[in-house]
Amino acid sequence: MALSGVEIFKLLPKTNCKKCGHPTCLAFAMKLAQRQASLDACPDVSEEAKIKLGEASAPPFRPITFGEGAKAVKMGEETVLFRHEKKFVNPCAIVVAVKDTDSEESIKAVVAALLDSEIDRVGQRLRLDGLLISNESGDPAKLAQAVALVAGQGAEIPLIISTTDSSAADAALGKIPGKRPILYGANDSNAEAMAETAKKHKAILGVSAPSLDALSDLTDKIKAMGVEDMVIDTGARTAGEILRNNTFIRRAAIKKSAKSVGYPIISFAQRDDDMLEALVASLCVSKYSSIVVLSSIEKWKSLALFTLRQNIYTDPQVPMQVEQKIYDIGETNADAPLMITTNFSLTFFIVSGEVENSKVPVRLAVMDSEGLSVLTAWAAGKFTASKIAQFIQESGVENQISKKELIIPGYVAILSGAIEEKLPGWKVIVGPREANALPAFLKTKN
Amino acid sequence: MALAAPAETYPGKVFEVIIGTEKTAVFGGENVLPFHKFDGSVPNRPVIAYEIQDVAPEDWPDTVKNVYGDAASDPVKWAIFCQNELKAEAIALRLIGTHPDRQDRSAEDAAKTVRAVLDAIEVPLIILGSNHVEKDSAVLVAAANAASGCNCIIGKAQEANYKTIAAAAMAQNHKLIAMSELDINLSKQLGILITQMGFDKEKLITDPMCSALGYGIEYTYSVMERIRLAALAQNDAVMQPPMLADIGMYAWKVKESQAAEADLPQWGSLKERGIAWEVVTAGALLLAGAELLIMRHPESVSAVQKFIDEL
Amino acid sequence: MLIIGEKLSIIAKRVREAMLNKDKGPIQEIAAAQWKAGSGMIDANIGPAEDNGEELMQWMVTTIQEAVPLPVCLDTTNFKAVEAGLIVHNNQWGKPLINSTSNDPERFPMLELAVKHNCQIIGLTVGKGGLPADAEERSAIAAEIMGRAMEYGLPLEDLYLDPLVLQIATSQDHALQVIRAVKMFQEMNEPPMKTVVGLSNVSNGCPKHVRPILNKHYFVMLMNAGLTAAIADANEIAEAMKDKPLIDDVLAGRTIDDAARMTETQKTIDVLTGKTLYAHSYLEM
Repeated sequence: MALSGVEIFKLLPKTNCKKCGHPTCLAFAMKLAQRQASLDACPDVSEEAKIKLGEASAPPFRPITFGEGAKAVKMGEETVLFRHEKKFVNPCAIVVAVKDTDSEESIKAVVAALLDSEIDRVGQRLRLDGLLISNESGDPAKLAQAVALVAGQGAEIPLIISTTDSSAADAALGKIPGKRPILYGANDSNAEAMAETAKKHKAILGVSAPSLDALSDLTDKIKAMGVEDMVIDTGARTAGEILRNNTFIRRAAIKKSAKSVGYPIISFAQRDDDMLEALVASLCVSKYSSIVVLSSIEKWKSLALFTLRQNIYTDPQVPMQVEQKIYDIGETNADAPLMITTNFSLTFFIVSGEVENSKVPVRLAVMDSEGLSVLTAWAAGKFTASKIAQFIQESGVENQISKKELIIPGYVAILSGAIEEKLPGWKVIVGPREANALPAFLKTKN
Repeated sequence: MALAAPAETYPGKVFEVIIGTEKTAVFGGENVLPFHKFDGSVPNRPVIAYEIQDVAPEDWPDTVKNVYGDAASDPVKWAIFCQNELKAEAIALRLIGTHPDRQDRSAEDAAKTVRAVLDAIEVPLIILGSNHVEKDSAVLVAAANAASGCNCIIGKAQEANYKTIAAAAMAQNHKLIAMSELDINLSKQLGILITQMGFDKEKLITDPMCSALGYGIEYTYSVMERIRLAALAQNDAVMQPPMLADIGMYAWKVKESQAAEADLPQWGSLKERGIAWEVVTAGALLLAGAELLIMRHPESVSAVQKFIDEL
Repeated sequence: MLIIGEKLSIIAKRVREAMLNKDKGPIQEIAAAQWKAGSGMIDANIGPAEDNGEELMQWMVTTIQEAVPLPVCLDTTNFKAVEAGLIVHNNQWGKPLINSTSNDPERFPMLELAVKHNCQIIGLTVGKGGLPADAEERSAIAAEIMGRAMEYGLPLEDLYLDPLVLQIATSQDHALQVIRAVKMFQEMNEPPMKTVVGLSNVSNGCPKHVRPILNKHYFVMLMNAGLTAAIADANEIAEAMKDKPLIDDVLAGRTIDDAARMTETQKTIDVLTGKTLYAHSYLEM
């Protein structure tokens, strides 16, 4: 049973010493209640409190960091089933599979493509996260050789070593000390040896079982052997199985506090058909996998998956923002009207869509208002006359237009006088309140 | 310890909708979240309709325009191509040429096109306006009358024009798409208004408004998930019609499905990229709850069908 | 329960024009009406007021206090306007209230003002960018604001925590989260923390005839949760108090004689608690 913030607070030392990085014990307790902080951060907590708080404060999905350094990937920590309830926390890692039987050139090419996969989208850097190397040959030496080759090409790429042979694993992991890789391949028959190998190399252990029940038993067994960091595979391979098992795991961990499946999920989406693979990977991204393994790197596929991942993992409470700038919609010339709005992405999509519908070329000035909609931004002091005037002046747009006229949203009609005062020589025109009135407005204006 | 696999059941159920006469298509009818066959009953697959238009698709990118070539010069040829060559389960005829800023075709002309297409095909027809609220109320009324007795879907009724369109759909016994702008509460409100006219809620299809991957799809995704949860968990009858995702027109409008590889080498091959954009948009919205999709590229449709096979 | 009369807002056309023309009549008339209906304080919302904020706030405070013997709630994001208002405020009618500080660093200086001028302040439980998702996130922000208040030297009894009421038409789930937050906030200190809400925002964007119904029911539910103060129309609160016994009956699951009222109350409670999805015509379903 989860404890409330106040219940947790009562168990803390109440010294307000700030050593945990929070201003007061109460503030720290509130973060613990949301499972956004760890009790370890408090140096003075009593043993009694630790016992009482231990399980209650552990997140439903164990937080695990895969890889090491700047490209390390955080996994786990999810708290909800649906993204509208609360932000999905750690985006699904996208990993590409190679085999130790692949030629050196082809492995090198995959590593190079992976290192080159980074793109910028709406202010975020997106990239393929890691590489899975499987022991297709069955030969421990070949696996170690492939791992060494990859490590030599891209030392910072997080790696998954896929083998069920603990001695092959031992040799391969020996090539990448301190890199926090995943050793994937523990099952009911090799659990002990694999657990020992993972412990020895401080690797995360990838555990697979043919059913949810079997998986649950196996993780308990491995945990008892002293391995805490696991990623789990239910054996699901078809889209339907992945959806079913991932849904059950998410429900069990969140609603029933089932610790035995409270680990990041690894899913395998490889298909001969690239489009189908993209779809199955989309399912993994949307529905609860922490790692999805692909068969190949195509830029178009990565772009679509990066974009979906970014969209699904957007915080529903933090409005998505578009870049502050002046957007040309249609073939604008010096006579095109100039409109202004805020940078809330939905406002932008709807306003620009209606402008497109009107077929009137328009310059749309989008101003940074921290993603708030027009009226909210105004009330919060982010979309005010002086800020609008400053933005218009600094944009230099006045050199591109024939008439110094600015159309403002109807909701902030109140600002028209103040903007004219701050933008000498400009005329402010009050536009409609709602975007759907824009086509009619723009057409009659012309 | 055995895991208590927590199945979930709900008091509500999505209405099942049947369209067409000679050949029919059925969608909806599930009493669980999308594809959650492990929780309950999912009697029907989602239906994918091929989009065609009453005028040549000049504004479609080459990737998808080239598929249809000369067939797209005439809506009847285009419809027959989709039915016979592409094995379409349903066809969505968008009367985009009626838009005042396009060819401004008259309602009578649109009605003739509808009749000609219906005479040429056996599969069900979805008849869409140009999303111009005033023009649509004339065009869709004429189209609904021309399609009398054919059990079509008419769309889209919006808050500003639902009265005339719903009345015509009701008189001719068609199904009706109700579209609101990405807001679950407005979607419910429109459903209430239309049913208050006496329109049968079991003949409605909800369009919460589509958006493309990268261009607000997370809003459509979450509104769809919330509509489905309201239908199932709250047993809210107004939210129980199946949902439409009008994928093609959004996915093929964005930069990612149009920009040349030469300009953006980091984005990879244009052809696959365009198809992937339509495919991934469709995949995400299927998982969010769409039961009826409108799409453009045959390779997209075939990939999505394979995905549904696996689900 | 402290009612902070909310009618003096720049968003209302009549008030805006009075502010623009420095016409005391409408301002004093509204303030007096709110006082008579039971307000213990008057909210003066002048918007961001970039240009003439200081002068405008001073004019508002003196205009209001000429007409009614009440303290004023100074409602603007403009720091200088707040300070100017505090300087002319007549404290003999009670301590003024600053609306507001929050977890946004831009709003921290408001706390300094509260300490410097020995007044009360509202702590709005939002951070920079993004809204709190639920009662727990609101409480976490509240704890940070409380920590900051102590650091600045503001007694916690001068802090009113505001969980931020959102529009039911677009953010229905928050209605219940705000009620939960009001309960949680109180538990966070001994004696319990004071709480305040901007009541009418719950029905912002709803049809005119539905607004008072939503406001009234929401007020009763918040009051039952232990709310200390509300920025609201005192006339609506008087209505709510009259209907409270009846609403309480329905909340407790009892049947009341008036079937029409019973239905209206039950539907409204269901919408506010998230049991049914809100639509503008929810009362007609």
